[in-house]
Amino acid sequence: MPETIRARGAARAAVFAPLDGAGRAALVEQRLADAIILGVLPSGERLPSEAELARRFGVATVTAREALESLRDRGLVETRRGRGGGSFVQPVRDHRPLVDLRLRELSRVELRDMGVHYAALASAAAELAAERTTEDDVEGLSRLVASFDVSEEGAARRAESTFRLEVAALSQSARLVREHVRLQAEFGPLLWVGFREAVHRERALDHYRAVIGHLASGDRDGARGTTLAHIQEAVEALIDEKVAADRRGS
Amino acid sequence: MTTQLIGSRADAVAAVFAPVLRLLEGWRHPLAAALAAGAGERSALLDPAVERLVTPALSDRSTLVVGAGFIAAPGLLGDVPLHLAWWLGKFNTLGAPPAEAQVRRLPAVEDPSSEDFHDYTFMEWWRVPAETRLPHLTGPYVDYLCTDDYTLTLTVPVTRGDELLGLLGADLYVREIEAALLPALTGAPGVLTLVNRSGRVILSTDPHRPSGVLLRNAAGSGATALPVEWGGTPLTLVAEA
Repeated sequence: MPETIRARGAARAAVFAPLDGAGRAALVEQRLADAIILGVLPSGERLPSEAELARRFGVATVTAREALESLRDRGLVETRRGRGGGSFVQPVRDHRPLVDLRLRELSRVELRDMGVHYAALASAAAELAAERTTEDDVEGLSRLVASFDVSEEGAARRAESTFRLEVAALSQSARLVREHVRLQAEFGPLLWVGFREAVHRERALDHYRAVIGHLASGDRDGARGTTLAHIQEAVEALIDEKVAADRRGS
Repeated sequence: MTTQLIGSRADAVAAVFAPVLRLLEGWRHPLAAALAAGAGERSALLDPAVERLVTPALSDRSTLVVGAGFIAAPGLLGDVPLHLAWWLGKFNTLGAPPAEAQVRRLPAVEDPSSEDFHDYTFMEWWRVPAETRLPHLTGPYVDYLCTDDYTLTLTVPVTRGDELLGLLGADLYVREIEAALLPALTGAPGVLTLVNRSGRVILSTDPHRPSGVLLRNAAGSGATALPVEWGGTPLTLVAEA
């Protein structure tokens, strides 16, 4: 059989391969593991029930169960039975090896492409928001940012995601907001790996205030440019972490 | 356009929101009665009372309501600090594909220590009617908590004497309000634009003026602004030549 035909046949088979339970369970596990390892789901947080997880991820209950079992095996969650029971996020004693492992499985190309996709979306949302933001909205955002406590890295990642979502909502586009939620779920925690450095967390706060300033003055270019620059910085910090992870792993 | 003509269009706007307002006002007394009878002691007692009141409207497409419920004032209930007793209509696609959507409870997070917990007292749909004690239309806004879509939310205060017990509310999709309202506004000479109290466009007969943009300084450019008398906080119909 000519090589090309065989290759084509295999590629087609891969496209139409059933999304088996194992593959989907691994995806669900990865989402939750990223969020736990990077503190977006903080220690002590109760995860939704198996049935609720299945509904939210759009997978079978048995798939959600399998993902939870893997998380339990890795010590990332603990399941308690009975009243007040459920699956609880466990404290992660040493994040570094877990984050390293995750960074080593992704290429620089993939990491950068995540950043490009997210930056395109977030900067377009900020640009639109600049001409659609009222004084009330500005006040609401300022209050939100004032309530952020970024002394801890998981909290800083949650703050980042909240701020981004609120700005997206000000674009008045339901589709942009839904896409934001989707991307944040897919790689939000990973993108903000750089927040383990306090200096990056502090810079983020400055950035939020700058964006609010641009929204208040209706400065579309300012809102877009600042947002792009902030996310590009995050991507460079992420790549630095990736390089360091590769070095430690070799 | 004459003030009289604009006035008749403003009445047409009021007529779209009036049935929703009447619906909520119709729930006020039974709800206050349930609270007086002790339903406020625990959320488990309150929820069935709210469910009975609001779910019939959620299966009835003629109301345009895609979500409705009661939002308790902080401290009203004995067992939880804040409580959102909210149901989603059959036509509300939040978290469910359209074919599978049923009338269902909005899963609300009431543990203040959880990351998914939202303190709704910061939100416009709570803040404004709680302060003015008047029905209030919030939006258009992207509501990523209760509809995941471009939304208008009507909230009315429920009080006992001076005390605010909570709010009754209903969600409407902006796209459905457009379909219901635009025919009543088009056909007149010039441009008519309905704006909320922040000057945000709810809809306009100018097809190139999207919902959600801000109409700044329209009144200063030879336009006529007429209040829509609908029984709540101000909505304005702006007529331009």
